[in-house]
Amino acid sequence: MRKKLALFIFLGWILLLVGDRIDELRVYQGAQIAMYAIALSSIVLLTGYSGQVSLGNGAMMAVGGYSAALTLNNLGSPVWFAFVMAVVVSALFGAFLGAAAARLSGPYLAGTTLALAVGLPEIANQFDFLGGVPGILFDVGFPPARFGEEFTQYKWFFWIATFIALLSLFITSNILQSRYGRTWRAIRSNSLAAELSGVHSGRMKILAFTLSSALAGLAGAVMAMTISLVAPGAYTLALSFALVTGAVLAGVSSLPGVVFGALILVAIPEVADVLATRWGGDENLNNYLPGLIVSVLLILSVIFTPNGPGEKLKRRHHKKA
Amino acid sequence: MQKILETFLIGLSTGSIYALMSIALVLVWRSTRVVNFAQAGQAMLSTYIGFEIATRTEIFWLGLLFAIAAGALLGAGVDYFFMRVLFKHAVSGPAAVVAPVIATLGLLGLIRSIVGLIWGGEFKSIKAPASTDGFTIGEKTIPFSPLNLLIIVTVFVILISLAIIFQRTNLGLSLRASAYAPEIAQLAGIKTARTRTIGWAIAGGVGGVAGMLVTSSNFLSPYSLDLLLVFGFIAAVIGGLESMVGSVVGALILGIALTFILNYVGTSLVFIGGFVVLIVVLLVKPDGIMAKGRARRA
Repeated sequence: MRKKLALFIFLGWILLLVGDRIDELRVYQGAQIAMYAIALSSIVLLTGYSGQVSLGNGAMMAVGGYSAALTLNNLGSPVWFAFVMAVVVSALFGAFLGAAAARLSGPYLAGTTLALAVGLPEIANQFDFLGGVPGILFDVGFPPARFGEEFTQYKWFFWIATFIALLSLFITSNILQSRYGRTWRAIRSNSLAAELSGVHSGRMKILAFTLSSALAGLAGAVMAMTISLVAPGAYTLALSFALVTGAVLAGVSSLPGVVFGALILVAIPEVADVLATRWGGDENLNNYLPGLIVSVLLILSVIFTPNGPGEKLKRRHHKKA
Repeated sequence: MQKILETFLIGLSTGSIYALMSIALVLVWRSTRVVNFAQAGQAMLSTYIGFEIATRTEIFWLGLLFAIAAGALLGAGVDYFFMRVLFKHAVSGPAAVVAPVIATLGLLGLIRSIVGLIWGGEFKSIKAPASTDGFTIGEKTIPFSPLNLLIIVTVFVILISLAIIFQRTNLGLSLRASAYAPEIAQLAGIKTARTRTIGWAIAGGVGGVAGMLVTSSNFLSPYSLDLLLVFGFIAAVIGGLESMVGSVVGALILGIALTFILNYVGTSLVFIGGFVVLIVVLLVKPDGIMAKGRARRA
């Protein structure tokens, strides 16, 4: 535990140094990677550990983003409180939804969360206090003056996002290694046997769903920060799909893998952009190539390495030994 | 009173389209134990093909026929080239349970991107096979149109033919048998894998019809069938995911309920209404309205 804390602090220090040495665009992408890492860890916790599929984590991110923005704008609270509210509100939302769906298995949860992912942006469009299609602003403000003139806005985003990501990954990793993590894995591999050993599987699943929603909500607030805005268009079904893809690529039950998955999710639009320009820069190509790459990656990885690329390597290693 | 009747009829027409989608989902669920989220994509691609035919020949019914054929081929193809491979590979490990669902999701994304690359994102519309202006009774024009009537009749015809296939033919018997007890069916000499592929084909064809009918009174885009998928799923859950009759009843109830919300409360609450119905059914009667005592949560 203490060793791990030291490791995370060391990681944070390295990231700080790196943040000083790369250009603005990379710093911004660094913040995005941190955001995706939080979002992916929410899926790892839910799918990789407790064995439930949620297709609606994008919607949970929307819940977090809207609660953070509403808190900041209406209560005039400090920025950190907005992030806390994002966690609290999305956890409550997740607990409610989990109580309805999480005690049911696979298809029901998947379908319900899919319905949420399809519908939530539409719902947000309908209500005035949520700002309709243009959305509402979420401005965390300029970096503190004591960091000096050189300190850019993007670097400030990067600092906040990285700090939140490290903190939440640290907490998540501890939860996953605790009794709860073990219980979830037990339920996932054989829920009947787990129940016979005295595990209340329904309650544990709801807990997993709640924590996962809280993480997703936090990611949603970080995302709102990086684009300074909360709008229905940011939390589409495509975002939920991308998250599932990232998690599968990361190896659904590997927490360190989320950084790898997040890196790929940030890289895909860049790669798609380069390819689309090379192949003629047609408008359809620009719009649909990223989705095509995401889906092909998802399909290939789910067929050939459903438990993540790490599993094959491990198995090869075992064979040699 | 008259408004209630009109709302009821329009709801019946909306619900009958949901019924097709939910039947497609239930068919695949019974045989493969996967909620096929790619169904929206398959239906969409079939509808685009139907759209091309219908616009070029200006015959809606020819387009519909092509959409059914395309949907059936696509459904069979997805099962044969995709699900079989998937079930061969993803058999163990933490992701085995969730792999099929995630795979259908990937397929939905893939089909959506391909459709987007070919046809682009702009809204298309298919010329409706019947007038969308309401019937005139005496002096008054009601919102219920010949198109609504045609939709109800078309769906009714399809449901009857499905019922005949399932209840009166050998194919239907083997479809039901391999869904109910695949191993016993196999021992009885039914080629279950092939039967499953046929089931996927039927589901795909039905999905194609649903797509064409929705599009005849609406527009078509790479995203336009997502809501149909969601409502089809809710309808299937109301029916218990297992029962085809249950899913049709669920779809009609849902269609009528949502149309009442639309006409009496407002557009903004239609989706929330559907979602509330889903949550309430999951909380109160998770096995669906057709459950006979025994819990059938898979």
